[in-house]
Parts: sequence; structure tokens; C-alpha cells
Amino acid sequence: MICIDNSEWMRNGDYSPSRFQAQADAVNLICGAKTQSNPENTVGVMTMAGKGVRVLVTPTSDLGKILACMHGLEVGAEANLAAAIQVAQLALKHRQNKRQQQRIIAFVGSPVKYDKKVLETIGKKLKKNNVALDIVDFGESDDEKPEKLEALVSAVNSSDSSHIVHVAPGENALSDVLLSTPIFTGEEGGSGFAASAAAAAATGATGFDFGVDPNVDPELALALRLSMEEERARPEAIAKKAAEDSSTENKDHASSSNTDAVMTEAEPSSNAAADDKKEQPKEDDDLLQQALAMSMEPASGSAAVADAAMADASAVDPDLALALQMSVQDANMSSESDMSKVFEDRSFVTSILNSLPGVDPNDPSVKDLLASLHGQGEQEKKEDKSDKPEDEKK
Amino acid sequence: MAATNTAATPVPAPAAPAPAVQVPRGQVDLVDFIDWTGVECLNQDSSHNIVNALKQLYRDDEGLYLASDSDEQLLIYIPFIQVVKLHSALIKGPEDEGPKTVKLFSNKEHMGFSNVNDYPPSDSLDLSPDHLAENKPTTLKYVKFQNVRSLTIFIEDNQSGSDVTKIHKIALYGST
Repeated sequence: MICIDNSEWMRNGDYSPSRFQAQADAVNLICGAKTQSNPENTVGVMTMAGKGVRVLVTPTSDLGKILACMHGLEVGAEANLAAAIQVAQLALKHRQNKRQQQRIIAFVGSPVKYDKKVLETIGKKLKKNNVALDIVDFGESDDEKPEKLEALVSAVNSSDSSHIVHVAPGENALSDVLLSTPIFTGEEGGSGFAASAAAAAATGATGFDFGVDPNVDPELALALRLSMEEERARPEAIAKKAAEDSSTENKDHASSSNTDAVMTEAEPSSNAAADDKKEQPKEDDDLLQQALAMSMEPASGSAAVADAAMADASAVDPDLALALQMSVQDANMSSESDMSKVFEDRSFVTSILNSLPGVDPNDPSVKDLLASLHGQGEQEKKEDKSDKPEDEKK
Repeated sequence: MAATNTAATPVPAPAAPAPAVQVPRGQVDLVDFIDWTGVECLNQDSSHNIVNALKQLYRDDEGLYLASDSDEQLLIYIPFIQVVKLHSALIKGPEDEGPKTVKLFSNKEHMGFSNVNDYPPSDSLDLSPDHLAENKPTTLKYVKFQNVRSLTIFIEDNQSGSDVTKIHKIALYGST
């Protein structure tokens, strides 16, 4: 329950723009903080002066209603603190949700005319009924006022639930000073609203990553954070690949697999890493097969030259290398148009199979198939060779 | 040597190191039926709170007691997890600072000190120092406590009239 001081003393301008306006801002801020920090919180507002001690809005969680009631408040007359606290207590007693903790926040800007004793009795009564009290001491300050209010709060206080804040007139707005006090931060250890408001006021929203307040725009903040992480992850993955590649003995492959790795990394495929790993042993296989195939064919100088050429080419593009090899084989063997010869080239087959999605050349069934095809090719080759010597014999 | 345990009247236990309370025949200790999440006590001293007087083990410890804070009155609200019938109550406290006038209200939710005297109590006990010392539960007006959902205990003053009221133990006996 918030008690507003709207007495004549609030016309003074020592808090900008006027005491009353500063108070109103602070009240708005507190209402917002309380309703945001817990959806079950309710806040009520009442005046201590003006037309008299009266309740403007009974405790409600509707922030709009609360803010609306602050409009058109008149400043005048004298504040009656004792009566106001009693009325506040009554308003709290008749709250709808009996499980809520009772708390009164009083803005005391005018001088306090009561005795310390009277105030202490009031405080005791509040404590007896388990009502906490927060006091914002601002505006008029004479010698005794801070003391009296301190006595009141200490009479009410049980286990640190009640607080008092003295705000001197000056540069800082009343609301800003209050933001850092326990009145705002409350018992729950701070609400997001208060914390972010404080940060915004103090640093101009530079306290957050990416300069976006997660409270204000959570989706944007999340998107920014995700893209940051992706960026960070990419060079790390590439570095990891490079580390793995350097561990393989084939230096030729290092650069090609690197480029390969980069290309596959760019694709958003989840199998990228797995594919890379598979391709490396296959490329070992490929070159080995190429070497074997070539050694089996009748040696020719062109083949050796092509070999060197192809070793270079393979550094750039394994497919290109295979194509070159194919053409070399064309030159050496007569029946290259035969498809069986194509299948005989195991490396070519594996490269084709690689490009086919869903086919894993390391799969035993596929390997068997390849072996049988290769065996067929072998037979044909043997026949060729036997033919040739026969030819030669002839 | 006739049986000293007659049916309805509880028998005071012999003074032993740990005096045992003779639970009235047919009644159980209702401490198991208390809904602890809703137990409240107004004007209690936070370091000497209601748990010290109500809960098992706490209440039998002589060093733990419930004390009042600002003045001598206490308002204790005890909800139960089911409807019970209240038979008797045992309140133990020190001779001087123990409670004197105790008013019991059945099924009155969330009373405050201001409206506690607006309603007639379901029962009212005037305790003497003897009551506080012995282990004999005081029988209540059974008819008034036939379906008790919650019990409010209002302690109006204490034996010596001091500012602080102390209670060692509150035990309730009845049946479901």
C-alpha cells in the first residue's frame, strides 16, 4: 500500500521538476517493479493530504489502473501520517489474498508533527499485525524528522523487513536514488525490471552483450548470441580438421581435404564431419588403386608422365584426377568403352558411390559387389593378356 | 490397587525425568493433522516462534518456547489437513509468564487483534499456574468443536501481567 504525500510542501522545486512530480515518478516506478517482479503482487495507492486521507485505488495487480489514478491529483493541506498508516493497515487487512505479505510504503515529505512515542506505538501496532513498513524520507528536513522516522521504522522492523531511505535534494532524481535501495530490490533479491532499469539509467544500456537488452528484445538478443556462437564454432572446426589432416601421412591429400573440408563445412549438413573422415581413407584407397591399376597395365611412358601430372591434379580435384586416369587408361587399353572396364576401376566406382546419397562404400555388401565386379574385370583382363600373347605368338 | 486408568479422565503421570502425558482414552494427538503450511502466529518473537510450541520434539524441549513480541497477546492460527473433533488441549508454560486467559475460536479464518473480540469464542480457558505445570489436558466444550477445520487460539494475557508471554507447549487432543 503506497501512501503519497500531497501536502502543500510538495509544491517546492528542490527536486526537479517539483517534489510532487518526482514523487509521482517514483511511485510509478515502484508500482511497475512490484507488479512485474511477481504476478501475484498487488499494489494500492492512497493520499495522506489533499482532500484528506483517502484510498485512490485498492490493492490491485492492474498497473494501468494504478497509473491512471495518479492523474489529476491536487496538492494541498497537511499530511496526516498516523491516520494514513491506520487506513493503509485497514486496506491491507481487507485484501483479497490473505496469504500476501502486508507492506506499507510511505513517502514522507512534509514535517512530522508527532512525538517519537506516538510513532513508536504506531510502529509496534504494525509489527504486532505483521505489517512491514518502508519510509522514503525526502523534502522537508528538520532536526528531528530523520530521528523520528528511524524510531518508527525500528519499532516496526522484525527481521529486516522494513527499511527507511533518506533522499536529500540535489541532482539525482528521486526515482534514480530509490532504484538502488532495498525498497526496490525487495526481499527476493531484485527484480529483472528494477535491475534492467537501473542498468539502463546508469550505463545507457551498454551493460549488455550485443548492446541489446534481453528484457526489451529477447528474440533479437537470442539471435545475435546464436550467430556469435556459430561464427566462433566455424574457425574452430576448421582448425580441428587441419589438425586431423596433418596427422595423415599423405601430404597431397592435406590441401585437397582442407579445401574439401571448408566446402563441406559451408554446407549445413550434419554429416559434414563424418563425410570428411570417410573421404580421407577413400582417397588413400583411390590413389593406391590408381597406382595398382597402372602398374597392372602395360607400362608406358605416357602413363608415368600422366602419373606425375595426375599427382598434381589430385591435389586440386580428385574427380579430375580420376578423369585423367580414365583417359590414360583409354590410351592404353583397347576396350575402354566396355562398361565393365569402367566398373573395374574401383577408384572410379568408389567416387561415384560417394556422390550417391545413402550409399556407403565401406558397407560390406557394397564391397562384395565391387569385388565381384572387379573379379570379372580381372578375368577379362587375363583373357586379354592371354589373347595378346597368343596374338603375339601368332 | 484398582486400575488407576479409568475411562475418560486422564491420569497425571508420576514426576519422572521426562514426564509423559496421558493421552485421553480414545483421543489422539492432533499434531499429525496440522497443516503446517498455513500455521500463523501474530505478534510472535521471530527467534521464539510457534513451531517451538507446536511441533513434536520442539515442544518437549524445555529450552524452546514461544514468546510474544510487542506486547503480551498472541494470536495463533492452526489449520488442519482434514476436519477433526477437538476434545482437549494442553498448554504448558512458565508459572509467571505463561498464558492466563486463552480463547479458542473454531473455523474463523485470518482473524486479527482488532476483530478478535468481536466474536464470541467457541471456548475460553482460564489457566492457573497449576494448569501450566501439570501434564493434564484441559477438556474443552466438545460439542462446540465437532467439525473443526481450523483453530484460532487467542492468548489475551499472562499470569504475571508482564510484557512477554511464554509458552512451552501446546498440544491438542481429539479424534477425526
